[in-house]
Formats: sequence, C-alpha cells, structure tokens
Amino acid sequence: MTPQRKYGTWWTALFLLLLVGGVLLIVSHDFLAMRVDLPIYPGLGVTSTAMLSDYFAPLKGTAADTMAYILQGDEPGGTAFVLGGTHPNEPASSLAAIVLIESARVTRGRLVVIPRANRSAFTCSEPQEGYPQTYTIETANGSREFRYGSRGTNPVDQWPDPVIYINAAGQSLAGSEVRNLNRSYPGSPDGNLTEQLAYAIVELIRQEDVDMAIDLHEASPEYPVINAIVAHEDALNIAAEAAMFLEFEGMQIGVERSPDNLRGLSHREWGDATDTLALLVEAPNPAQGRLRGRTSVELIVEGIDPFYVRAAQRGLLYVPFFEAGHPIDERVGRHLQTIAMLLEVYNEYTDKGVVVVDVPTLSSVLEHGVGAFLLQPNTTNATN
Amino acid sequence: MSSPFAEMIPLLAMVGAFAAMTFAFKLPVSISLVGAAILGALVAGQGVPLRHLVEGTLGYLDTLLIIATAMIFMRTIQASGLLDTIAHHLITAFERRPASLLVLMMLFAMSAGMITGSSTAAVLTTGAIVAPAFMALGIPKNKTGAIIAMAGILGMIAPPVNIPVMIIGGGVDMPYIGFGLPLLILTLPLAVAIVLFLGLKSVRATSIDRSLLPLSYHRQYGWKLYLPLVMLIVLIVLERAFPRIVPSFGMPLVFMISALVAPWTGRKMNPWTVARDAVQAALPVMAILAGVGMFLQIMALTGGRGFIVSLLIGLPLGLLYLSIAVSMPLFGAVSAYGSASILGVPFVLALLGTNEIIVASALSLIAAMGDLMPPTALAGLFAAKVVEQPNYTQVLSHCLIPAGITVGVSLGYMATAGFWDRFLFWDNRLALYGILLGSIGLVCMSILMLDHWVLRHRRESVGAQL
Amino acid sequence: MTIIYQLITVGIILLVAWNLFREKRLAEQMAAALVLIPLILRALMIR
Repeated sequence: MTPQRKYGTWWTALFLLLLVGGVLLIVSHDFLAMRVDLPIYPGLGVTSTAMLSDYFAPLKGTAADTMAYILQGDEPGGTAFVLGGTHPNEPASSLAAIVLIESARVTRGRLVVIPRANRSAFTCSEPQEGYPQTYTIETANGSREFRYGSRGTNPVDQWPDPVIYINAAGQSLAGSEVRNLNRSYPGSPDGNLTEQLAYAIVELIRQEDVDMAIDLHEASPEYPVINAIVAHEDALNIAAEAAMFLEFEGMQIGVERSPDNLRGLSHREWGDATDTLALLVEAPNPAQGRLRGRTSVELIVEGIDPFYVRAAQRGLLYVPFFEAGHPIDERVGRHLQTIAMLLEVYNEYTDKGVVVVDVPTLSSVLEHGVGAFLLQPNTTNATN
Repeated sequence: MSSPFAEMIPLLAMVGAFAAMTFAFKLPVSISLVGAAILGALVAGQGVPLRHLVEGTLGYLDTLLIIATAMIFMRTIQASGLLDTIAHHLITAFERRPASLLVLMMLFAMSAGMITGSSTAAVLTTGAIVAPAFMALGIPKNKTGAIIAMAGILGMIAPPVNIPVMIIGGGVDMPYIGFGLPLLILTLPLAVAIVLFLGLKSVRATSIDRSLLPLSYHRQYGWKLYLPLVMLIVLIVLERAFPRIVPSFGMPLVFMISALVAPWTGRKMNPWTVARDAVQAALPVMAILAGVGMFLQIMALTGGRGFIVSLLIGLPLGLLYLSIAVSMPLFGAVSAYGSASILGVPFVLALLGTNEIIVASALSLIAAMGDLMPPTALAGLFAAKVVEQPNYTQVLSHCLIPAGITVGVSLGYMATAGFWDRFLFWDNRLALYGILLGSIGLVCMSILMLDHWVLRHRRESVGAQL
Repeated sequence: MTIIYQLITVGIILLVAWNLFREKRLAEQMAAALVLIPLILRALMIR
C-alpha cells in the first residue's frame, strides 16, 4: 500500500512538525473561543441571580458552575424550576429558558430558571457530527448568536471516561454517558464533575423547596419519545391534564410515565430524591437526528430537511414532518406553552401557586419569531 | 427545498477521491482519507474547514491511546518471554486433548474482549498469548490470525461488557440490563464453531513438532514472569468487580502499569526501544483512525451520512435485513462503535416492536464485523501484526466464511427474536437453566469425542507414513 | 486521574514524534504528523 520511494528526511519531519504547529494554532483559537459564554440579558422579571455553587460550594470556580435566574413575584406562593441547556445540542431547550429570563414576569410565587445547565458542554462540539459552534437568531435590532454545544461535559473538564459508567442510581451505561448530565442524577457530592453538577441541581431543588421542576430537551424525529411530556408518577396527573388542554389549544403532545428501570434521568431521580413534581419536555430537532442531510445553522434554526420529509412519508418518524420542517420558533414556542400550561394546571390544585405572565404562546412565537421575545444586545445588564 | 441528491455529490467525490488516492496513487489509507475529507468539504462549498477536520480526529482520541498502550503492553510481554512461556505450557498440558485445547484457547482469547469491550485489546493481549500456541499446533499463521481476530470480535460482543450494545441502548434509552444471557447464547456457540472450523483440520493433520514449540522461560525467571499479566487481570477485574470502591483506571492506564512492570520480570529488554517500535507498529492504524474521524465529520457536515442512513433504513423489511447485513459491517470500517451508533440506533428504531434486547444484541455483533472491514479492519490488522503477517488481507481472507456465518446467525437471531424472547425471558428459570446446562454438557461431550477422533486420525496418518 | 492521562498522552506524543523523525517514508511521516494533532490538543487540554 505504501510507496516504495521514500523522500522522508529530517527536514521533511521538521516541516511537518511546523505544519502541525500551524494547524494547532488555528484550531486552538476556534476551540478556545467556545469557552466564552455568550451574553444573556435578564428582563424586568428577574429579581436576583445565584450561582449553582451557592447550593453546593465545591462547584465554585469549576467549568460546571452556572447561573440561576430568579423571578420573584410580589405575592407569596410556590416555587417552579425550569432547567434549560442540559444538552447544548438541543438548542430550543436553552433558548426557551433564555426567553423566560428575558421576557417573563412572575406575579405570584417564584420561578427559578437555569438556561445553561451543563455549562461545560456549551464549550465544545460533539466530534464527528459536523455541528457549527454557534447559531444565529434574528431580533429586531440585528442578529444574536447562541452556542450550539455538545451533549456531554467537555472532556477537557472531565477526562478520561470509564469503560462502563455506573451512575449514582446504580445503572450501568456506556462509558461516554459519564459526561451526560441527564444520566447522572441524583448526582454525588464526591463524584466526578458531572455528578457534582447533578448533585448541585438536586440541592437547588431541595434548598429552594421547588414544587414543580421542568427539564427541557429536544429529540431527533426518529426517536419515539418526542413532542411529549415525561412525568414522574407523582406528576403524571398534572402532565396528563396539561396535555389534554394543550390538545384543545391545537398543540399535540403525548404523555409518558417515567420508566422505573431507566435510572439517572431527571424525571425519575428528581421525583424520587426530592418532593418536587418532576417533568421533562421534548420537542423535535432534526439537527440532532442521524437521518439529517447537510448540517448547518439553517438546519438548526429553520429545521427544514428533505431526508426527514421522505422518512416521514415512509412512516419512520414519531412526529409529522413536512416541507416546512420544525423551525426553532416552533420548538421554543412549544416548550414555552407547555411550561405555562403545566403551571396553570398545577395552580388549580394548590394554594402555593406560581403565576408567570408574559410567557409567549406557540402561536405568538410562530407569528413573530423567537427573536421578538429576546432582549436587544445592551451591555449594561448582560450576564455571562 | 433542496433535493436530497445535493448531499450525494460531495459523498461521491469523497468516495471517489479515497479510492483513487489509495489504489491509483498508492498513498497510505490515512492520507487518502484526509484528502477525501478535504475534497468533500471543498465540493460542498465549505472550503477547508480545519476546525471540523481536527474535531473529527478527536472522536477517536481515547481509542488512539488504547491502541498505542495496548501495543506497548503486547510488545513488552513478548520481549520478556511471557507470550512464549504461556503458549508452551498450554500446548504441553493439553497435548492429548487438541479439540478441547482449541476451544479453551478460543474462550481464553475472547476473555480480554469480554472484560474490556474492545477487540483491539483482546487481539493484542489474550489473542497474542494464544497465537504462538495455535501455530505450534500446526495451524498456519494466517488462519491463526483469523482465529484471534474472530475471538477478539466475539469477545467484544460477549458479556459482561458490550460497548456497541451500550451505544445502541444509549441512543434508544434502553438500559444495559438483561443482555447477559442473550449475548452468551449468540456468541459462545459461534466461537466454538468458528475455532473448530478454522483449526480442526490443521490440528488433525499434524502432530506437534516439539522443535517448533515456543520456549518456556518459566524455569529461568519463575513466577515473576507472569506478573504483567497478573497485574493486567487484577486491575481489570478489580475495577469491574468493585466499581464503587476501585476507581476506574481506564484501559490505557491499565496497559501502561502492566507494561511498566514487564521489563523487570523476564528477558532483558530496552523499554524505550520496545515502546518506540510498538508505537511505530501502531502508527498506521492510529493515523487511519484519525483520517476516518475527519472523513466522518465531513460526511456529517455535508449530509452524506444522512443520505446513506436514510436510504438504508427506509427499505422494506426483507431488504432491511439485507441492508443490515451489508451496510453495518461496511460502515463498521470506520469502527464497530461508529457503526453501532450511526446505523445500529436507527435500525433498532426501525425494528421496534420485537424484543429490542435480542435485536440490539444481534445488531451489535453484525456491527462488530466491521472490525474486519478494510481499510481500518482493526481486529484483522492487529491479528496480522501478532502473527507477523505484513499483508493483513491474507488474514482477512480466512475470516470471510466465519464472518458470513456470524452475520447469518445474527440475522436469524433477529428474525426469531419472538422465540428467544419467550425462551430466554421465560419465568420458569429452573427449566431454562436446565435446558442450557444440558446443551452445554452435550457440546462438551462432543468436543471430548472430537479429541479422540483427532488423536486416532493422527495415529493413522503417522502409521500410513510408516 | 486526568493528570496521569495527560502524562500518558505526552509519552505517546514523544514516541510518535520520535518515529516521525526516524521514519524515512514521507507518507508515513505525514501519518505520524496527523496523529500528533489530536494528541497534542488533549495533552494541552485545549480540546
């Protein structure tokens, strides 16, 4: 296979080494740029912020420490928690949380929002997936960039992976899942970085006495659990009722009970380890799927993919897929309307309600675009 | 809306460029892969996306470390004389039981794969240990290579650790529970059949030539000689047995610790030279993996990957089986893990409704055949290095029939998933274990009878020569 | 554990680099250089 002629000398070796150095210089610049958090602009509803390390001190100074935004209402009530950005390759999750931070207000009770749950995972891309490092949303004042990160914690922050990962709940998983936040619950105070992060999130739920906790996700269109609410058994009634009302409003969404034997996931462990009503919401993201065509910013934002249209025609998908695709506006809108409906149903059953106003509905996000509900870049109140 | 065929052009350019560079210009596979990836990106209008190209290689970083350290470990225990010693004792102990010896050595060769989940690790450790013994039994080196390559692959799929199944399970939220028995049923009979198929004829034809027997250094160095291997086994087993107490060392560290012990346990060696030559031997494969990483990244970027996956899983059921049989090993050329992830997950989703544990087990074994698929052919390539065959296609040619049988059996397993579902998950565990133990007993008896048959045949052929 | 793995990576880098300079076939030198890229990025904990 190899040529018989040689040509290799000490000088060619040196030249190749210099070439490697040059390549490293260029790509390092790209890779390191991912570590800068893009700004979030808290809206009028945000009354205070906290770091996750305030709930679990050892997280301080690590790549996993992340900001929680607290929206406190004037009237006393319960506490709801929305977690976005568990998997930074599921952008509608983080973006829906950011919309809440930038445009929602709370009149009763309290809403805690984390938009970058696994902040370390926002600092790298999944290898061999061809993802862009950022995607762009158009706002009235120009375009705004958001990170498209990886599913798991950056290996630079947690390395090496074990051969098999046995999580704190005792489940055996492939080694790379050790960096998956949504397999690491309930976490462990002396575990690896991802487990400590999971532990800190569970601590937040405990210490803030969270009544209802919602974990936002996206899934590929060929994945069975999609356009769905996955609910811990304690929250199943609320999820079912919310889904019914959402259907009345024209938004189709299924309900799944959190499986007992699938351990380490938020909807199972939050519910088992704390008193919170644990829920997880999924939306369809073609950029995540294995059937997708060209991987691009347009695919992430517009959600249009001809391969998925054909796959839907052949009955291979668990969600309708037409030429118009599933744009990020729709996915964020679904998340927001689901959150609002879950809270509304919850409020029916409790005197510790959480009333959040100015949450955009699916139809309004579809009409105006998600950019209309994001604040304009303005450096005075930006948080990283 | 763009036509799906827009994604086909860069893909065709990549495949064409790869073939041209490898076969017409005789460039190393790794360099051809890099060239094809760059061309694919250019054709797709992406320029030369350096960040993407490098990011692709990073997907195999841990594998690169495993390959380099496993190779170093193998070369150090070869230099210390441990490999020869074990082969010597295996053969002298089982001289009168050749068929049993074949089967036992096959199971031993698989064992490293079973606990590490890596065919490379299996071929370079337990495979390397039994290879001299197989050859001393009269099995030609290419067939020996084929046996240890198949052992590595079957070991990788056999329980307790099967990474491809875990990868498939991770993609469909299926916990790694209840796979033990289905995987054993799938892999063990195949292992016995394959080693007898490849080895029995040669073993029957010749008696052991004592002068060809590898030397034993046991008398010279005593039990100290076995320390690297003991170390390797203890570290791996401790980690698996007490995952909550013993920290996870990971394969590279386990290999390094065991390799560091070796220079003081047997024949004299220069550890630096041995390590340097080991890395030199591993370099072409490491470079291929880096190139494959780039190729995959550009395929995902340009949509070529989606084109292939959506084409394959959209086929009707009969053709679906055919496409599994062909595409998963083919795609496995980029590593069995990659095939499990990229094709295994959508195939399981396309076959939902049958017992997913059986389907995923069978798919993982078919994906594992990818470790025999050039240009990477990790299992075949390292097996060729172990038996010192510079042209690894010579080894691969003997793997063809066993691999075909394996794929056929896996498809059959999948097609009869309903039966296995009822049998293996039968509530009457006592009856199930009774049937299984009875079958194992029958197989053992048949192998013992084979021992006699081989010895009688040898005596007859010796008699005929006289 | 991370530091141990960084050390292993550095060790492998040295061995690969040694082979890069010892190798007489240009194509194989290129292969060695290719392998160096991901290893150095991880050794320096850049990616």
